[in-house]
Amino acid sequence: MGISSGPKPFLTVGVLFILLSPATGFSAPGRPRVINCRSPEKETFTCWWEPGDDGGLPTTYALYYRLEGSETIYECPDYKTAGENSCFFSKNDTSLWVDYNISVVASNDMGKSVSEPVEVDVVYIVQPNTPESVMVSVLEDNHGPYLRVDWEKPQSADTRSGWITLVYQLRVKQAKDETWEEYDAGMQKYYNVFSPHSGKEYMVQVRCKPDHGFWSEWTTPVYIQMPDYMPKVRSMWIMVAVISAFLILLFAWTMNVKQNSVKHCLLPPVPGPKIQGFDQQLLKNGKSEEMFNALVIPGFPPTSTYEDLLVEYLEVYDDEKRELVLNEKNLIEGSMKSKSTSSDNDSGRGSCDSRTLLMEKCVDESGTEQELSQYGEASWASSDSEGRDNPASPGLEDGKVQMWPSVFSSPQSHNFQQQHPGGLRASHHSVPEISCVSPQVQTCCGQQDQLEGFQFSKPGLYRYAQMYSMDTIECKHVAQEPQSQSQSQSQSAEYVEVQTVNQENVLLVTPLSNPEGPNPELSDFSGEDYSKVRDVTSDNVLLLQRDLSVSQFVGDYCQDQIGQVDPCFLQQQQQEQTCKLNAHLHHPASALQEDMRLAGNGYVDTTMMMS
Amino acid sequence: MAKGLMLLSVVVATLYVSQGSTSENQRLFNNAVIRVQHLHQLAAKMITEFEERLLPDERRQLSKIFPLSFCNSDSIEAPTGKDETQKSSVLQLLYISYRLIESWEHPSRNLGNLNQITEKLADLKLGISVLIDGCQDGQLTVNDVNDSLPLPFEDFYQTLGGKHLRKSNKVETYLRVANCRRSLDSNCTL
Repeated sequence: MGISSGPKPFLTVGVLFILLSPATGFSAPGRPRVINCRSPEKETFTCWWEPGDDGGLPTTYALYYRLEGSETIYECPDYKTAGENSCFFSKNDTSLWVDYNISVVASNDMGKSVSEPVEVDVVYIVQPNTPESVMVSVLEDNHGPYLRVDWEKPQSADTRSGWITLVYQLRVKQAKDETWEEYDAGMQKYYNVFSPHSGKEYMVQVRCKPDHGFWSEWTTPVYIQMPDYMPKVRSMWIMVAVISAFLILLFAWTMNVKQNSVKHCLLPPVPGPKIQGFDQQLLKNGKSEEMFNALVIPGFPPTSTYEDLLVEYLEVYDDEKRELVLNEKNLIEGSMKSKSTSSDNDSGRGSCDSRTLLMEKCVDESGTEQELSQYGEASWASSDSEGRDNPASPGLEDGKVQMWPSVFSSPQSHNFQQQHPGGLRASHHSVPEISCVSPQVQTCCGQQDQLEGFQFSKPGLYRYAQMYSMDTIECKHVAQEPQSQSQSQSQSAEYVEVQTVNQENVLLVTPLSNPEGPNPELSDFSGEDYSKVRDVTSDNVLLLQRDLSVSQFVGDYCQDQIGQVDPCFLQQQQQEQTCKLNAHLHHPASALQEDMRLAGNGYVDTTMMMS
Repeated sequence: MAKGLMLLSVVVATLYVSQGSTSENQRLFNNAVIRVQHLHQLAAKMITEFEERLLPDERRQLSKIFPLSFCNSDSIEAPTGKDETQKSSVLQLLYISYRLIESWEHPSRNLGNLNQITEKLADLKLGISVLIDGCQDGQLTVNDVNDSLPLPFEDFYQTLGGKHLRKSNKVETYLRVANCRRSLDSNCTL
């Protein structure tokens, strides 16, 4: 019904109330307000209002509405169903897709007041009821346990005919947590929550919403307790961890037990210096003298045999045109030369290894053994004197034997020894003196006083003294044979072989021409002997000459400086024949040339070149 | 015997065909529902944007300035409640939906193509017409629906206003109901 008619009595009463209200404190009601209108299923709806100030008097409220396109005012059909201060519109009173104009009027004895009108379209105020029958259960699959939540739609919503379409949402949290995890379930009515923590308590809530409307309220929470479980993956990892810990312990214990061997393997001990006779303790004790004395090994350096002799070559030749050439090759040079002409046993060092001494044959002199014994010194002295002239002999020191140890100290002697097994074995040996025992030498050796006599003025008498400051030093003298008249123009020399050093420190030598030669060292030289250097040509060619005195040698051989053996057999041993050998100092040679002379046991004496 | 077998095979074939057509119809129905839903959301967005630009005073006056009585869709009789809707046939519902969409499509064309609504409405109309044709096979045509020609001109603001929003909502509801009635769609089950 509409608003009551008859304003006059109302006005009178109202005026009276207004006049009297200051005394009584009554007033018209305040303006009510429509709070909310909701439809749970898009078929009915309810509106609630909020009353204003009642003015101290009992106030009644009435709701009036009007449909769009019509001026007819209707009053709320049902004030009860929905509770206090509400109006319930039933299905018959509800029209969809139509705007409702709703207002509430509050009235009391003093007056009334009207609320603000509210426009409502039922379709857009749909808020369904909460979902029902929420059930949570713990299920298990291959990956472990999970939560399954099931629920039902609110009963009032008619989704079956498609009248309303609902979408659902759920939220989960641990009981002790504060934040929820929300999941959208769409239109389905179940949901799986995976990977929950074992042993925890969870809370689950569900709500729903129509396609165009408001979310429902959350359901009352459902509690679920997760059981304790050990996932398979976790157990596997635990086993892996245990096994690896066990292995680590085992490894550590093994390392501890085999500490030393491991240390030896990882950090191999650095070998210390091994010096025979070196006693670290002595050094630590600070007694250096004792230590150094301990270093002295008896029998070192060896002094036993003549084979350990270091022989120096003294090459002195007397030529008016020529000066005394004293060529001393130091250890290094000699050994280097020997190495450069490696295939030749005698190369470079000449007769040093072949134990031949090129002795001077002194025709007009006679010498005694003592003189011979002094010859060595003299030779040394001469060599020394010549050494002064020749700067190429730095190793000499007053011709004294004391230089020998310094010479001997070179370690190359060992190498030398190895390279020439057949030759004169070199070793560190202190030979006090060399005695020339050969009768031929005697004459020469007796010329001690005539040091300068080494410079023989006699033609034909040549004395080649070649100093090899190597391990084996031989006293080599090139002597001219008086028999060789045909060789008058040539320089002839005879090699002697050092046999031994007797007890009186006399060097015993034997001429190389001696068939009873002590050693067959020169067996490889079983040919003719081209050990005489005859001449050196202008273009650095050494001319070797066959030695007539060594006629018993069947074959001849020629060697060039670089060690190429060029056997050259002579047909007539007795005849003097010249084996020509092209021996270039700096070029490999194979041709033979005349007047080549080989020194001693086949070495090409390069001192001729120098002169 | 042979005739009996031939008849049986024809019936089975017809069933298959009808089922095929049913499934095709089902697909079209679902498609139509989805399209309407989208249109509804689009209209809601447009209204919201429009109202945000208005001053608060103008908003209050909106219903007064543009009275709803001018809405021509009232001429189309459409169920306004669930019961009425349930009583209407599928074909009726489809037809009504078609009319509603049509009444929306014309003004939107005049206003320019906001958010490509015109094309979408046209597509939806086409789909509904197809559904109608499918429903009309062997069925009676709709007689009790008053065909009223849409006015050539409709108010601009009402086009943007709640009317179209409402229309889309109506159509959506009708199509859903019709769809659920025609098939055992999972969306319609309890």
